[in-house]
Amino acid sequence: MSNVNQLASALKEIVGEANVIQDPDRMKAYAVDGMTPKAVVNPGSVVELSKLLAYANSEKLAVVPRGNGTKMAQGGIPRKLDVVLSLLRINRITEHDVPNLSLSVEAGMTLAAVQEKLAGTGKGSFLPLDPPYTDKATIGGIIATNGSGPRRYLYNTARDLLLGLKAVFPNGDIVAFGGKTVKNVSGYDMTKLMIGSWGALGVITEITTKLLPLPEASATLMVSFEDLGKAGSLTRKVLHSSLLPSAMELMDGKAASQLGEEGKYLVAFSLEGVGEAVERQVAEIGEMGKKEGGIDAKVLKGREDRIFWMRVRDFALASKSHVILKSNFVISKQADILGNYENWAQAAGIDCAFIGHAGNGILTTYIPENGVAKTDPLVDLIGKFTAEAVKNDGNLVAESCPTELKAKIDVWGGPRTDVVVMRRLKEKVDPVGVLNPGRFVGGL
Amino acid sequence: MEKDRMISELVLLVGSENVLSSAMHFKLYEYDASLIRSQPDCIVLPTSTEQVSKVVKFAHDNKIYVIARGAGTNLSGGSVPIRGGIAIVMTRMNQILEMDIENQRVIVQPGVVTLDLKNLLAKHGYLYQPDPASEKVTTIGGNFGENAGGPHCLKYGVTSNHVLGAEVVLSDGQVVQMGSKALDNPGYDLLGVLGASEGTLAIVTKAILRIMPKAEAVKTMLCIYNSIEDGGNTVTAIIGEGIIPATLEMMDNLTIKAVEEAYHVGFPTDAAAILIIELDGLKDGMERLTERILAICREHNVREIRVAKDQAERDMIWAGRKGAFGAVGRLRPNYLVNDGTVPRTRLPETLAKVVEIGKKYKLPIANVFHAGDGNLHPLILFDERDKDELERVHAAATEIMKLCAEMGGTISGEHGIGLEKLHGMSLIFSPKDIAAMKKVKEAFDPLNLLNPGKLLPETEKAA
Repeated sequence: MSNVNQLASALKEIVGEANVIQDPDRMKAYAVDGMTPKAVVNPGSVVELSKLLAYANSEKLAVVPRGNGTKMAQGGIPRKLDVVLSLLRINRITEHDVPNLSLSVEAGMTLAAVQEKLAGTGKGSFLPLDPPYTDKATIGGIIATNGSGPRRYLYNTARDLLLGLKAVFPNGDIVAFGGKTVKNVSGYDMTKLMIGSWGALGVITEITTKLLPLPEASATLMVSFEDLGKAGSLTRKVLHSSLLPSAMELMDGKAASQLGEEGKYLVAFSLEGVGEAVERQVAEIGEMGKKEGGIDAKVLKGREDRIFWMRVRDFALASKSHVILKSNFVISKQADILGNYENWAQAAGIDCAFIGHAGNGILTTYIPENGVAKTDPLVDLIGKFTAEAVKNDGNLVAESCPTELKAKIDVWGGPRTDVVVMRRLKEKVDPVGVLNPGRFVGGL
Repeated sequence: MEKDRMISELVLLVGSENVLSSAMHFKLYEYDASLIRSQPDCIVLPTSTEQVSKVVKFAHDNKIYVIARGAGTNLSGGSVPIRGGIAIVMTRMNQILEMDIENQRVIVQPGVVTLDLKNLLAKHGYLYQPDPASEKVTTIGGNFGENAGGPHCLKYGVTSNHVLGAEVVLSDGQVVQMGSKALDNPGYDLLGVLGASEGTLAIVTKAILRIMPKAEAVKTMLCIYNSIEDGGNTVTAIIGEGIIPATLEMMDNLTIKAVEEAYHVGFPTDAAAILIIELDGLKDGMERLTERILAICREHNVREIRVAKDQAERDMIWAGRKGAFGAVGRLRPNYLVNDGTVPRTRLPETLAKVVEIGKKYKLPIANVFHAGDGNLHPLILFDERDKDELERVHAAATEIMKLCAEMGGTISGEHGIGLEKLHGMSLIFSPKDIAAMKKVKEAFDPLNLLNPGKLLPETEKAA
């Protein structure tokens, strides 16, 4: 592509003049790691999107797909950036099969809008995903990055919920995988492959998912602790019981205080389901908390219950976090690893808040802007965190990271042996390197 | 490569005790539970990952086909070596390597029999959820390769939802790890696409499985109907009411009679249909949910409801359901079972059309189905030796596949495409969809040596 004007006119030909942004000032908002694209395009249909990708493929352009941009600070520094491809105009519900409890929805619609529609239709249902950025996150962005939240403890994640999806491949092929049945082994499970593929294999344009009936009742129970070991013990006891909370979060005092709660450590449970089971779990887990040495317990219901979980999900926003690190590891080590992370962060003088999905072995570290002034100790600290997670069968991914730090760490964590297959797959599907070049695992 | 040389080379690699090559053995490994037959050129029963890797590398270097196989209970030709080659039978790799209860994971070799694992876990109060009807003999490796389902998948998902990590041998013999005991490992979900890949992408030598604590309470109900439509409508109504039980299983009169004759579990032989409903979870509120479900059954003209009083009664009901294929198998020399799946709300009308198809081709069809999943199992009964009848069977099976596709469903819910349903793939996928899947195959297996000719139709070309 020799000429920016040539590019613009080709893009305008496909999507119409009004749907191409070229104004340098407006494009600043679409920069990725300081690189400003040559153009931003807003296709209004999957057919237009397909033409755009086919064009990019033939012209060897680098394309970064985008929803509302909540994940733009994640991923490796792009090798190249020509066009930012917005999915926001591809945003309809294409089928809501109420009695079948399934929904097909396009990538550009926000999850919040989907949930509102579902809650208000028939007896009410919901899509059991609760990733961060409640108001902004789009379906396409959530699925492409495998977004999840506290309630995955009961409802699992996209790989367990999606029935099928549609995507456009880098050569412009419009493809559909899976279907709308809850069981399907016809052909390869391409749906799972596309979930969390970071727009580096294809651009997801629509998903079909299972829905669940809205729970009859819900409540939050919070138990605070002075001692991390005791907090960890409560989470382990619940984990191995037959109780079924929908979320079980363990956080440090800093995170708790930013949420307006007290205690050196806080364990928060979400309880959902039939009324009797919610009541009983509030009482029983409350008792268990007392036995484990919990110093205070608090129950939230109704609006307070909903708002609390929204604030947990959106912690990154309220805390103005600059660096966000997600560690995964075996589930029994939640409290131990939190303790180690806290000690190391304190020794390094880096201000961190920690919130973890205690039933899933996932711990998120939030570091505010002033924590990042000291780059070298932070790089060391991330190295330590990563090694600890790897030692415990997991890894560490930087979910948000300033560009200068990205150059000094691997934002996708320690190496994995299956990268050899990932690389071959990327080369087969996207030989030109059109989609998100350099941003995914292994520099793919 | 010449067969005798291949066999002697393999003996050098894994020892003569792990290689089978007699005519009788070839006969024993020429089939699965479908009608498809074809013999391997050699059979290897490795005892370690290292041996699997050596054999696959040898095959790769000499461009020999490799077909992995567990217990051979698969239903669509998936493990039949239609182009010869080396059958790698995983049944000697049958160790449970680690029971990591505190992390709620187990690590198993692929030849572990599903029910053996479940029985062992039960002693610790834990469950591995997938429950294919053939769990008494199937292997975990086979379950994953086919992505086996089972009654409890309605609530808990299929095998691939419970496989969180694996050690796999790639087509060139390289050993890599996918996933782990931890969730959310970065990178493409290669493990996700491995489930249901029927041994065409890689060979699993270890699997890391999710286990969960046993449910506090279980309630099993047997609902008896005079009309199959009433049973089907009950299913739709229960889900529509916002209740998702752990299972919603149905069987028709022909199946009920066969089961009763074979097992004497107390099913009424004059019923048009029975529906098995099971709830699990916390005991609180379960009585109320049960009452709501029973009210729905009554609204849909249920003739009789039996609620299992204890584990023995529950086991009796499930013995009837899980033995259904075997029982039906006694009625005629052969059966062919489809597993087309439709959106669950369309089950009653699909079922009515399956009955018509049976009449049209003059074939008895017994129906057992995972009703809550919309997953049909019409068992078409026949005698393989009657060539005319055999032709009608294939025609009827194809028509049922088409019907499921037309209903907005899919051609296979849990038995796989294998060879048997290859011709149905174009009913649900465009040439471009299939071209995309082929890229995955090429990335994993560039020389097309792993289970060739299965799952993806050869002739499709991208438009």
